[in-house]
Formats: sequence, structure tokens, C-alpha cells
Amino acid sequence: MDRRQFIIGAGAMGASAAAMGSTAARAADDVVIGVVYPLTGNGAAVGLDAKAAYEVAARIINDTHPAIGVSMGKGGGLDKLGGAKIRLVFADSQNDPQKARAEAERLITQDKAVAIVGSYTSATGATISQVTERYEVPYMSADNSSPSLHQRGLKWFFRTSPHDEMFTKGMFDFLSDVAKKTGRPAKTVALFYEDSIFGTDSSNVQRKLAAAAGMQVVADIRYRASSPSLSTEAQKLKAANADVILPSSYTSDAILILRAMAEIGYKPKAVLAQAAGFQESAFMQGAAALAEGVMSRSSFALDADKLRPAIPVVNALYKDHNKKDLNDNTSREITALLTLADAINRAGTAKPDAIRAALVGTDIPGSQTIMPWAGVKFDENGQNTLCNPVIQQVFDGSYKTVWPFDLAAKDVIWTVGT
Amino acid sequence: MDNFITRRRRHELMVAGGLLVVAIVVPLFIRDVTALNVIILSLLFAGLSQAWNILGGYCGQISLGHALYFGMGSYVSTLLYVHGAIPPSIGMFAGAAVGGLAALLVGWPCFRLSGHYYAIATVVVGEIGYLLFLNWDYVGGATGVYIPIAKPSLLNLQFGKDKLPYLYVVLAFCAATWLAAWLIEGSRWGYAWRAVKDDMVAARSLGVNIFSSKMAAAAISGAFTGLGGAIYGLYVGYIDPDSVMAGHFSILIALPAVLGGVGTLWGPILGAALLIPMKELSSSYLGGSGRGVDLMLYGAMIVVVALAQPQGVVSLFRRRAHGPA
Amino acid sequence: MTLETILQVAAGGLLMGLIYALVAAGLSLIFGLMDVVNFAHGELMMLAMYAVFVIWDASGLDPMLQLPLVAALLFGTGMVIYRGLIARALSVQFNRGMVQIFVTFGLAIFIRGAAQFVWGGDFKSVNATWLAGRSWNFGGVYLPLPQLAASVVCLAAFAGLLLISRTEFGKALEATREDRDAVALIGIDRDRIFALGWGLGAGAVGIAGVMLAGFYYVGPNVGVSFALIAYVTVALGGFGSMLGALVAGLLIGEVEAFTAAVLEPSLKQIGVFAVYLGVLMFRPRGLFGKL
Repeated sequence: MDRRQFIIGAGAMGASAAAMGSTAARAADDVVIGVVYPLTGNGAAVGLDAKAAYEVAARIINDTHPAIGVSMGKGGGLDKLGGAKIRLVFADSQNDPQKARAEAERLITQDKAVAIVGSYTSATGATISQVTERYEVPYMSADNSSPSLHQRGLKWFFRTSPHDEMFTKGMFDFLSDVAKKTGRPAKTVALFYEDSIFGTDSSNVQRKLAAAAGMQVVADIRYRASSPSLSTEAQKLKAANADVILPSSYTSDAILILRAMAEIGYKPKAVLAQAAGFQESAFMQGAAALAEGVMSRSSFALDADKLRPAIPVVNALYKDHNKKDLNDNTSREITALLTLADAINRAGTAKPDAIRAALVGTDIPGSQTIMPWAGVKFDENGQNTLCNPVIQQVFDGSYKTVWPFDLAAKDVIWTVGT
Repeated sequence: MDNFITRRRRHELMVAGGLLVVAIVVPLFIRDVTALNVIILSLLFAGLSQAWNILGGYCGQISLGHALYFGMGSYVSTLLYVHGAIPPSIGMFAGAAVGGLAALLVGWPCFRLSGHYYAIATVVVGEIGYLLFLNWDYVGGATGVYIPIAKPSLLNLQFGKDKLPYLYVVLAFCAATWLAAWLIEGSRWGYAWRAVKDDMVAARSLGVNIFSSKMAAAAISGAFTGLGGAIYGLYVGYIDPDSVMAGHFSILIALPAVLGGVGTLWGPILGAALLIPMKELSSSYLGGSGRGVDLMLYGAMIVVVALAQPQGVVSLFRRRAHGPA
Repeated sequence: MTLETILQVAAGGLLMGLIYALVAAGLSLIFGLMDVVNFAHGELMMLAMYAVFVIWDASGLDPMLQLPLVAALLFGTGMVIYRGLIARALSVQFNRGMVQIFVTFGLAIFIRGAAQFVWGGDFKSVNATWLAGRSWNFGGVYLPLPQLAASVVCLAAFAGLLLISRTEFGKALEATREDRDAVALIGIDRDRIFALGWGLGAGAVGIAGVMLAGFYYVGPNVGVSFALIAYVTVALGGFGSMLGALVAGLLIGEVEAFTAAVLEPSLKQIGVFAVYLGVLMFRPRGLFGKL
């Protein structure tokens, strides 16, 4: 093995990280955080947005700017570490668990990362969290949604965002609330989910909660992700004609299934999506008019600016950087890094065990985040217990929050039973 | 002539022994885990590609479905561990047995096909296996299987943070596949298989049973591939159909042998030594930019090597040994 | 299942099957001519789809109007790939089969990386075309116009390929296929025929890409799932047989649609693969293959 290659490579990486915006002056006491996402191949679209979101979060923490109303929003670096800056080092997982594991190891040992943030897909989250457990550095999961991740008794695993069970519970709470409000309950649901860990976990919870809510599952469709055609699948949904269709799909399939249903003359009564692809801007562009009225759960509400005045400020920073509005994923990524930076600051040192202790003691009120959550507080498994999702609906090409009703920017359009 | 061959074979064995000593000693001085990781993957794929080479190179059956045997090996050893509490150091041999058996089951109907029909059939069989595992809840389906973190030991084939023991396990695997190929080259089987590859009609007239030759090569190839899959699963600590059975593994297993030199002893090792570091390092140090540059580099390198050295990189060394051809 | 459902599923399978057939036709043409399996075939389709998106995004030109332009673009791309890479791969003395497999495979990876470099990782869609979102309703069975137009164009392209085979060039093509070396004696430039063959093959998949872009999304990996089906289609029909590609494409479209309807949709490709293996047991060279 050519050692020189590594040194040159590491140098190039350092140089590019330094050139990236805010951290131009590379102080000796920079705190390095490793960020692992799929940056090529399947999942690259989401990973590249995530990269932009973390860069914005690092600017909020590091740069000198008027105070923003979020934790670590004062700027100027980590004040309890003498103004040390957060320095991010990005790595490409290629959506491959082996690669994600190797990259996490590289970031910890070569770049001396004191924590890892990641990683979008649950399979890569699984292997990264095993590495961080072995190396005893915190893993901050920003957007892995599989419940299996925090149920393994890991000591170094923390997740700011809700997992699939919490998300799905929110969806069924909404269905129950909207039934009370309108007097027109959803009696039947159709599950439509891709054959991945995400689709499987999501549908398992949905099946359970539908039974508990007394709703009949009239179609249970597991489909092949990224298929050339979803026309038969759409025909099955049409034949079942459920009150609510519950899709768990990534962007490409989300576009395709809406188009396929329209092509066979089927207008579903209600679509309530498990976010993912349905919350991407590429979905909005691809589905266009077909997206009108579609509902999706979200952990973020762009229109909750009255409740969270920091949202427009952070969103403007992000939009300036990546030409898109914040969405369900990118908002969670920013929140994860801000939470981690807050813990490092409170720890007063960049030592992993001190950071872990500070994370355990995290208690950020919702008003200090950009999320509509009650706040950030971890249970003994490292799962944030105060994050409650919202339900949004598409009006004129953008999502508006419709539930919880006290947060709603618009009244929900509920066509079931009319 | 015989004397020449014997001398050359003894020479090869000595070179291999020397390289083995180097491969044992040098890593002792490497502390960097990324470097060790690249070496481990290179050795693993050198071994896997050698296993592929036994069927694809010596016997001429271009299989593009080896991901199936690879995945079977890692699933069998992992599930035996998780559900049966059988330690992976034993379970991996069960994985090898199932890999070999699977290769026989695939070979039985497919070996009557020739050329591209055989290659596409192996792709299809591999995809069927992948889809079945993805939809089969008992083996974890799409959710995959975690390999529980256990006390570091040779029995568990887990060594915590320590990379060196893994490296030696993978080195042993690589050496075993090389030795198998070396033994085959000198045996009656080796001659028969090469006859099958070069000229089926001639092979038949020489009294070689073509079908059973292919089946024997498939069994050995599949078993070693399954063994490699079991080791890989343990190394990664988590398996799901996408990470051990997806079609791109079939290509990645075949590629080092093709780039290094098909049907040669050293081709798979040279090919892996070139390809894997290139692939891993370009994605580690260029992939972070998110622009796809690493893919462009990787693709271009495959094209250039394939065109520049159609006999494989191994031919560079041969030319030097025998003067200008 | 109701009769309406059965007919709708059958119609969906038919429309998709014709697309599969046209994607496979280009692959089969190249294979029949020079025994080369092009592993970058799906990526050529992806390039055609991006071309449609870029032109539509810049000028608003409807995909249907772009058809001749993009087909010509792909024809040129095919010729360039032949001249730049494949001709070299064919001229090597050893391991010709392996070299061409891995040259086209490396090219596929390169094109995917380049697509991400140029257009980023986001999915793109062509919207608001003439046909988008419109369907014909035949007594409850819906035929979406974009797919219907794609089917008509696919059939026309097949007719075109058949016509070409009747021309002087087609005869030269056929002669080159029969005996590569002898054609030189009667004054046929083999290299030129091969280059034109690559142009035609890429042009065919380009046409499929244009029609697909009318109702499908575009992304760097969009070619992958189509390519796998295309290889199976070609092998099922028999390498080198145009009629085989057409019949096999339709068969695969229907088997896929009905497997999804009767079994679980996540298993639909297993149905396709099982039929393929089953046919191969009885006809080891595919339905119409001679090679």
C-alpha cells in the first residue's frame, strides 16, 4: 500500500474542507465531525442535499452573524471551547453498508472525528452505529428512520428525529382527529410500500396501527423499487379503492405511481404518504398537478414561522446555498448537527465520552429549534422522545401544514366520504 | 517439457510462499485502519476472483451470477450464528458447502447453454436469488440481519477494532484459493477443464466428460465464493440482500480476474491489487465531492486496462520473463 | 379479478412490452452483427432521455418533435463509441469476448458518473407535453396516450429496421453477419458496416428513450433496470433476431404485468426470469435464435 497516496489524499480532503465556506482559517483546535451520506449512485440526490444542509448548519455555528433563535445560533464557534470551529469532513457511503462502515472508521481514525453524523438509509446507519460503538464516539442519526436502530441497546447511538413507529402513530392520530372533526372517518386503507428496509418497517407499523384503529386493510402491496412500470400496481390500488392510500416510496416511484394512477383514470380519495420521496422537490416537479391534495407526514413545517421565527432565517441561508427550500430531511439534518454542537459546547471539551455525557443531558426546548417539536431530550436508548410529526397537504405546488390543528396553516381538504 | 513444467510450477510455489511471508510481515507495520481495510478488501476480492477464475477462467464458463453463492455463504453462516448459536468459524464452512451446492444446482440446468446464453442465464439466476431473499421474512427480508457484537475471539471471528486478525483470516482465504488453483493447474482435472474451454469437440474425443468437468469446477468455485461471502458478512457486521447479493457483486468478483488475466494463477491477485485500491481510494477521497468523479475514473480505468492489456496485466510480467513475444 | 382488471393489466403489459422490445432491438442488432453484448445499452437510453429533458427545459420543444434530432444524436454517439472503443476491442488478439464485455461495462460506469457530474443526482421529469396526462377510455380500459404513442413509434421503428434489412445496406449487413472475412473480397468495408450497425442500435434505443421520457423520470441510474430486462429480452428472443426481440418483449411485458397482478408486485421480475429459464430449457438458443 502506498502511504504517500493516503497523505496526498488526506491533504486534498483537508484543503477542500478548508476551502468550503466558513472554516477558511483552520485553527488547531477545530472540532472535526464526520458526515457519511450516499453522494453517488442511488440516494445521491438526497445525500447531496444533506451535504448542503450540514454546510449551512456549520455556518450557523461558526460564522459571526446576528443571533438566530436556535440552539448554537449565536455564531462565532463553540464559546466554551474558546471559540473553536466545527469542521465537517464528508464521505460517500455509496449507499453500501460496507462502504459506510469503512468511511466511518476512516473519519474517526484519520480525520480524528469526535462524532459521526449520518446517513439517510437505515442499512448504512446499522453499520456506522456498530463502528461508533466499537470506537466509542457518538453517532448522531439525523434521518435514519428504522426503529430497529435504537432497539439494540447501543451506548453511543443518538437520534434527534422520530422513527417509523412515531411517524406512523402521528399519521393514525391525524386520521382519528380528522374523523372526529369532519364526521367522515376513513374505514379502509391501502398499503403501498417498496421492498426495502424502509418500506418493510413502515408497512409493519401501519398494518398494526390500522388494525388497532379498526380500519380494514383492503390492499397490501409490496412493490419492486425503481421498476420500469407501476401500471399493474396502480390497477390493484384502483380495484381496492381504499379510503386512504398509504405509500412508502422514494422519489422516483412516488412520481411514477401518481402518474400511473392518473393514466388509468383513477383519482384516489386520499393519499397520506410516509414522507420520503413525497417530500422531495423533484417529486413536486415531476408529479406537478397530480400532487395537488396529496398529504404527507413530515417532521418539519416550513410554514410554522409564527411558532418558530428562526425558520425563515435558516431557510433563507439554505436556499441561498442550495436553491431549494428546506424539507423534511434537510431540516432534520440541520437540527441534528446543531444538537450535537450544543452538546460538544456544553461538554466544554472535544473528548467523545464528555460529549456523550452532554448528549445524555440534552434538554433543548422546541422554541430553540426549527422543528415543530416539543424539544430534544434523549431516552436511555438515545431516542429523542419529544419529536412529534406533523401532517401536510399540497396546495398549489407546495406543502402546507394541516395537522396538528393548532399548528395548521391551512384547513385540511378531506374528501373521504363526500 | 515435463521437466520445464515441473520447474515452473515449483518456481510459482516459491514466489507464492515469498509473497505470503511479505503479506504476513508488512501489515504488522501498518497502523492506518483505512490502509488495512483496503488491503483486507483487496485480499478478499483476490480470493473471490480466484474462485471465479476456477470456473470462468480454467473451465471457460463466464458466470455473471456469483453474487448468489457469495450471498448464500454469508446468509448461511450468519443465520447459523444468530438462530443456531453456531460460531462463525464453523458456520463459514457450512456457508461454503451451501455455496458449492448452489453452484451445482445452478449448473445442472445451465451448463447445456453456451456463450452469452449461459452468461445471461447466470445473471437471471442470481437476480432470482436476490429477489427471493428480499421477500423472504425468515431470513430477515429487506430488513437484513445484524451480526451481534461478541467477545473478540478466533472462534467468533470477531476482533473488535483490531483489523490485523481479520487481515490474516482473509489472507488465509486468499492463499487457499490460490493453492486450489495451483493444484488444479497441475492435475488431470486442470487439463480436462482447459480442453473443455478451448475446444469442446476435441475434449469429447479425448474422452473428457464435459458436463461433469463443468460441474466439478462449479462446485469448487461456488464453495470458495460462499466461504468468502461468509467472511465478508462477518467483517461488515450486517447483511441484507442489497449488500451481499446484488448483481454488481457478480461483476466485482469477475472483474479482477479479467483485468489481471483470465485463466492464470496470478491474474486475479494482480487484478485485485490494482482494481480494489483504485476503487476504494477514489471513492474515499473523491466521492466526498458528490460529483460522480470517482465513478468516471473507475469506469475509465476498466476501459483502458481492458483495451491496453487484453490478456490481463499478468502479461506484462510474462513478457519480461520470456523476452519480447 | 374482474374482466376490466384483466384487460387493463393486459393493456399495460402490451404497452410496456413494446418499449422493452425496442430497447432490446438495438442490443440484438449489434449482437447479431458482431457478437458484442453492449453493457452500456441502458446508459445510451439514459443519455437520450437527458437529451430530451435538456432540450425541453431550454426550448419547451415537445419530446415528439425532438424524436428525429435525438435519434440522430444517438446514432452519432453509437458510431463514435464504435470507432473510439469497440473497433479497438474487436482488434485485440486474445480474450476478445471478455475485453468487449468489460469495455462496455466500464463505459457504462463512466457514463453514469458523467451524467451525475453534468446534471447532478436529482430526478428530472419532462412535464406538460402534448400527450401528458391524457388517456383514451375504451369501456373502462384506459390507454394512456404517451404510452400509446410510444407503442406506435416502436412498431414503426421495427418496420423501419425491417425495411433497412431489404436495402443494399441491409444486404451488406446480412453478408457481414454471415461471413466477416469474405465480405472484404466483394468490396464491402466491414468496419463501416459495423460502425453503421452501432449507429442504428444506439439510434433504436435513443428512440425508445425519447418516447419513455414523455412519461418516465430521468436520473443517472435510470438505465439500469431497463438494461437488465433488455438482456433477458434479447436472450429470450434469440441473440441477433429482430422478430425474437419483438415477440420476447411483448411476452415479458405481459408476464411481468400478470405476475404483479396475480402474485405480489415485488415478485414480478421473478415471473419474467422463471419464464426465461423455462424457455431456455427447451430452446437453448431462445425462441428465434440461430446463433
